[in-house]
Amino acid sequence: MTLLERFRGAVSGVAAHDSFEAVGRLALGEPPSLTASPRSVEDVAAVMGWAAEERLGVLPLGRGSEVRPVADGPFIVLETSGLSGIDEYQPADLTITAGAGATFASVDDALRENGQWAPFDPPRARQRSMGGFVSTADHSPLWAGYGALKNHVLGATVVTGDGRILRLGGKVVKNVAGYDLLRPVVGGRGRLGVVASVCLRAFPVPAEERVLVVKGDSALDLIERALAVGVAPVLPVSIVVAGPLMTLEGRSAMVLRLHGAGSTVDADQATIEQHLGSSSDVFDGASGTAQSLLEEIRDFGGREACRVELSVLPSRVGEVLRAAGAAGLRSLVIDTYAGRIRAAADRLDPTDVDALRLAAEEAGGALRVLDWAGSDRPSDTPCRAAEVRLSERLVSIFDPGGVLWPTRS
Amino acid sequence: MAAPHDVRVSSLMNQTLVETVADRLRAIVGTEHVITHPDRLVAYESDGLTAYRVAPRAVVLPETTDQVSKVLSVLHGEGVDVIPRGAGTGLSGGALPTPDGVIVGTARMNRILSIDTKNRLATVQPGLINARLTEATAPYGLYYAPDPSSQSACTLGGNVAENSGGPHCLKYGVTARYVTGLTVVMADGEVVRLGGAGREVAGDLDLVGLFVGSEGCFGIATEIEVRLLPIAEGIRTLLGIFDSMEAAGHAVTDIMASGLMPAAVEIVDHATIVAVEASVFAAGYPTDAGAALVIEFDGTEAGLDADADRAEQCCLAAGAREVRRATSEEERLGLWKGRKKAFGAMGRIAPDLLVQDATVPRTRLPEVLARIAKIGDEYDLKIANVFHAGDGNLHPNILFDRQNPDELDRVEKASREIMELCVSVGGTITGEHGVGVDKRGYMPLVHNAVELEMLRRVRWVFDPHGNLNPGKVVP
Repeated sequence: MTLLERFRGAVSGVAAHDSFEAVGRLALGEPPSLTASPRSVEDVAAVMGWAAEERLGVLPLGRGSEVRPVADGPFIVLETSGLSGIDEYQPADLTITAGAGATFASVDDALRENGQWAPFDPPRARQRSMGGFVSTADHSPLWAGYGALKNHVLGATVVTGDGRILRLGGKVVKNVAGYDLLRPVVGGRGRLGVVASVCLRAFPVPAEERVLVVKGDSALDLIERALAVGVAPVLPVSIVVAGPLMTLEGRSAMVLRLHGAGSTVDADQATIEQHLGSSSDVFDGASGTAQSLLEEIRDFGGREACRVELSVLPSRVGEVLRAAGAAGLRSLVIDTYAGRIRAAADRLDPTDVDALRLAAEEAGGALRVLDWAGSDRPSDTPCRAAEVRLSERLVSIFDPGGVLWPTRS
Repeated sequence: MAAPHDVRVSSLMNQTLVETVADRLRAIVGTEHVITHPDRLVAYESDGLTAYRVAPRAVVLPETTDQVSKVLSVLHGEGVDVIPRGAGTGLSGGALPTPDGVIVGTARMNRILSIDTKNRLATVQPGLINARLTEATAPYGLYYAPDPSSQSACTLGGNVAENSGGPHCLKYGVTARYVTGLTVVMADGEVVRLGGAGREVAGDLDLVGLFVGSEGCFGIATEIEVRLLPIAEGIRTLLGIFDSMEAAGHAVTDIMASGLMPAAVEIVDHATIVAVEASVFAAGYPTDAGAALVIEFDGTEAGLDADADRAEQCCLAAGAREVRRATSEEERLGLWKGRKKAFGAMGRIAPDLLVQDATVPRTRLPEVLARIAKIGDEYDLKIANVFHAGDGNLHPNILFDRQNPDELDRVEKASREIMELCVSVGGTITGEHGVGVDKRGYMPLVHNAVELEMLRRVRWVFDPHGNLNPGKVVP
């Protein structure tokens, strides 16, 4: 009996196939043994339970935008495209619940029809599935104004590695009914379970968005000014230094975003320019130039083969950037308020990245390699031993059979 | 409420063992910082949920992380229950002792360890009173956002344990949003460091976020790193007076739907207004009003009047008979007074007060409040409502006399019906007070058996022997 026949015998009503055209584009290395397409949370649980019994790895697949799997045994693909609906949307409650396979774009579009939005802007945001969006929880340039995604995921339905269904959190903003198991799921890269649906907090669309741009010859030249904005009395919703930027003909820039009513934004702009001691180029957030600039910042590094991400205290960003320059990383996006740096290049020497990692660690920060061309991938900053131990214990109770296959991004 | 006899009885320490353990604790923290005399233990019999009282065997008051580590190591070795306690202001019995347990109090760990203005961070000990942090950072133009109503007494360690909220969490979020790193002493005395600003890309699982709100069951946080915010340039505060709760509810819905983002939206009902106005806290609210709505905006001075104007229009359109606007800080405090002093005022008109806590989707507030009133009538109980209307966080306050067994029974039944009601409309059993012992019995309303078992197992990840704050959270 083939694996597909065994699946159909054990899991009724869930579509599956063992042809691989649909997932071939992901360059998975070894092809999956089977692709299953559940259409409900219960289907997902049935597939997970079966995979655990068969001792098969499970790779959840939304839009495939962030999947970088490394095959180390037989596995199946669990497509979430069948869970693509918006399950519940209450505009007056500012909450929306969508299936894992729904694109962020579909959620955002539904919200905007009602003058609302989800203020998160990570790389390739609109192409991504909600499941992947929540599982990776990548840093958003809007962090200064709206905080991290984990603060705005109100609830999620999660299926554990052995097929248990957990409804975590809820549909209300304040909820402390038991330990917050939702927190480690958000950004957990699928280590604790397959996210099947997500409830997000929505926000009113600001009356106006204004983009202030201060150009410079390099990111390093602009960093002190950006750090000064970070301690100004007015806090923009985004403080980013980036460069070189194609939108600005290869120049670097500090890009600030202001949200609010017109009079508020006017006043904020005046305060910031006074603080900087200079004026800036000003764009309406909806203008073509602003949209192009923001998109380039958001999707930064998509064309380069090597990408790394660093986190460090904002006051230590400058010294880490100097180390990045020494490592040949001159293409950078820095959220100076959060102390988050993304750097990209077509080719990097792993020794240089190791030196950068050490510079970050000496400054109390950390480095993670996002993409790497070649087999000589440098190491990430390790977790502390106690954190590793606690994390592994957590994973063992969510995924006792070890079938969950975390994705990398 | 769960029945008091549900509280777990741990290893029965005999008196000799108590003295042996107490001597070892005295050697760690000093003789004067270990309490065993029954007269002095009375103060530790309960927290803010006074319906439950259990005397601990001892109270130990360490001063440093190292002392906490050594204390927990001793207690773990003897299999003694450990009950962490901050200021004891919690309202769910989270610091209720077990009969053979030892309270580890953080009262002496009340220092601010650092204020990092460049990175807008502060590191504090767990016994620091919430309001003290903002007092210390205000000269630098910074403040700590979570502001529980008890902020002049409650501690940061307690806030972390309960993931505390407060009136301004509508705009700024709850404690978990601000805690960036923790030093934690585990049940066996091991000291671990979790997270930390600047280390965000190291590791996948948010252990800091999981620890916040764990109600003292995962460890004792001995150093807490929190994010600070810049103090807003301006504030506008309004008070809307309504003939009915329903009209006030409509005003809230209109304000939130209009795209405004108030910092706080709070409602007190008629019964609360009457109680406040009859007390020494009288705030000048009309006693014939059905509800009073406090709305506050903060941010850039230039836009605040426009926001306040729009909110006032929403109130008037919803039928407000009057909208007052503060023109000075003194007036602002006056408008808030009826809300902030509500609990104190109610304490003066009944021997006992059960402060309930639940959250519902904001649009369901009017219907839920009407049904809570019916529950009060059905059980012949006086219920006064104070709530964070902007985020649907209700605090029905049941006034009663615990000396009346029949009334106590009715309070318990009414409480359960209120919880069932809130859950039935898509809400939950606690928004900011935590589960403790009070809500343990209601946990099956929001978690099935699989989820409850998962909660138990996650607790064992941190405390495999279950010595930390036993009998709390999970039934």
